[in-house]
Amino acid sequence: MDVKIWRMFKRSEWYIAVLLLMFSGASWASTYTLYIKSGNWVVNGSGGATIKVWGFTDAPTAGPIVPGPLLESQEGESVTITVYNQHTLPHNFVVRGITTDQTQIPAGGNRTYVFTTSTAGVYLFSDTINSINREMGLYGAFVVHAAGGINKAWTNGPSFDIERLWVVSDMDKSRWNDIAGAGGTVNTSVYKPNYFMMNGMGGFDAMRAPNTVLQGNVGQVGLVRIVNAGQFDESLHFHANHFQIIDADGARLSSYEPGDTINVKAGTTAMLLYKFYRLGNYPMHVHTAQMETANGVYLNGAATLIVGQ
Amino acid sequence: MKALFSLMQDTLNAAWVSRLLTLAIGLFFLMDLAPMEAVAAMGKMVGGGGVDVVNATSGATLVVQMVNKTMSDGKNVPFWVFCVSGSSNCHLPGPTLELGVGQTANFNLNVMGAPQEMPPYQGHTIHPHGLDVLQSEDGVPETGAAVLGDNYKFTVDTRYVGSHMYHCHVHTVKHLEMGMYAAFVVKAVDNLGNFTNVINQTGPAFDYEWNWVLSTVDPAYHADNAVGDSTVFADYNPKYFLVNGSEGLSKTAPAETVTAAAGKKIAIRLVGIHSVNGTFQIKDANGSSQSFVIYNRDGFALPSPQTVTSLEVNPGRTVDVMATLPAASGAWYPQITYKSLRNAAAYTNGTVYTRLNF
Ligand SMILES: [Cu+2]
Ligand SMILES: [Cu+2]
Repeated sequence: MDVKIWRMFKRSEWYIAVLLLMFSGASWASTYTLYIKSGNWVVNGSGGATIKVWGFTDAPTAGPIVPGPLLESQEGESVTITVYNQHTLPHNFVVRGITTDQTQIPAGGNRTYVFTTSTAGVYLFSDTINSINREMGLYGAFVVHAAGGINKAWTNGPSFDIERLWVVSDMDKSRWNDIAGAGGTVNTSVYKPNYFMMNGMGGFDAMRAPNTVLQGNVGQVGLVRIVNAGQFDESLHFHANHFQIIDADGARLSSYEPGDTINVKAGTTAMLLYKFYRLGNYPMHVHTAQMETANGVYLNGAATLIVGQ
Repeated sequence: MKALFSLMQDTLNAAWVSRLLTLAIGLFFLMDLAPMEAVAAMGKMVGGGGVDVVNATSGATLVVQMVNKTMSDGKNVPFWVFCVSGSSNCHLPGPTLELGVGQTANFNLNVMGAPQEMPPYQGHTIHPHGLDVLQSEDGVPETGAAVLGDNYKFTVDTRYVGSHMYHCHVHTVKHLEMGMYAAFVVKAVDNLGNFTNVINQTGPAFDYEWNWVLSTVDPAYHADNAVGDSTVFADYNPKYFLVNGSEGLSKTAPAETVTAAAGKKIAIRLVGIHSVNGTFQIKDANGSSQSFVIYNRDGFALPSPQTVTSLEVNPGRTVDVMATLPAASGAWYPQITYKSLRNAAAYTNGTVYTRLNF
């Protein structure tokens, strides 16, 4: 790039924003508006069902989505989020590890959060008032990218070629969601989830969703950001290669730990590097019995594919 | 996905199935002639459920048998287990496979006469879990693995010296629970190709090794009606908690008792096939926790070994630990407490004890 042009771009923050947009290929919004609503969420395919949920959306006229909209920023960026509570119960909005304001937003109310995302990584955002609110679908992922949107896990951190975000979660349709969703009282001492989701999908959808399937050329490195928004700890087993854990729930590891299965505790996060080692198609699935199913239907649970090409 | 489906169609191709069947039957008869030669003698193996230990390069054939076990409450639970063809030693867990690093694993699965489900979950496979093998050897039916018998061939490099596992990957929510699992250990080798007793490629030597296969049992999954896509599999309520297939409810009724010489180094290979959380500890006769060193996770050496007194072993993971026995004789009680995936609460009867005499 011509030095004169470079100087011209440097003159204005607006130009810098455009420059970042050109190089990152993503659109960076530091301002978000979210709406909390009740609605239904559908797990497709055999064993799937329509489940009553409370969740977030960024479209004022649309229903809630599970997980909520992906929120993104870069290291050092200031973020403004306004949350409108359009549900009949109080809720709150906390980005775990970043924000601390747990003030309840009353039904019909709204609240604005302004904060700086200083540390690149992946974060769980959710309603933290009680376990029911999160279980009902009030959760999502906040990804803080390296400054400049470069393909590194953080500034001066490990490089990657492709990146994926996996939000895993569970729901107990008959004892929790459909009861709370109909205004009833949930007995929280019993939790027997029968839906296990990968990015809000059953495995049948997740195994063909391009942004979920871990796909790359042999030799490339994928950065996988994992958020366990559920109530159960999840053990995710990768076929075809071992990975390296680079971040365990926000703590960067000084030496990366190898593994073929990562245990992500309920309500926590992890980041790992997966190098594509083998050509072909392989599963990535939780290694616990019922969590591979949708109400007992095999592989419509927390699973996706690894594709080496 | 296109490739995936065309692979599945290939698998269903009748000619291909019959070719595999012929291969499997042929191998079955070949292997029947010399089954016991496939069973290696491991002088330093102190425990592991009394299962056969098989060199994975031997061309051995595994079969699948129904084994009924009477549990501590007197109830009978049927299991499907891997056995060495021709061996009368059929156990839960299945035989340990050992592979020298750089050597070529070559073993077979024969499902003739095996207990099995109806389509689409008929047959069985072997998934070499943690060995990161090619798709063709991975044992996953959904990506094209043969389910009516197969030959498995692969090699691994020095990173893999440590503990792994193998298990059936057909309808795993059912078949894993039914008992189709065992330890798979990659061993370092000397210049002659003989196994050496080191914990990983650059790690220390041990004097004794002990395989621990961790598993949990929900008897509802073993019932006759628990087949196909059933809501039985939507919930998991484990009632029996095992180490090497035994309950070991107390120090006086341990799942397994082994003996090693005082002052020596022992390696314990924890193979986590359980479907809940678990915490491993070694306690002495007074209940004091003993420290031990973690060397490998999922069969790969840690960047640096970690000395601990308590270790979480998660589903699908393996951990290799070592400890030095006291110079004076005595007994230790290595034990695991199985815990809920929701809140890490210990299960009733969830602690399994073993005993190590020295
Ligand atoms: Cu099977
Ligand atoms: Cu496995």
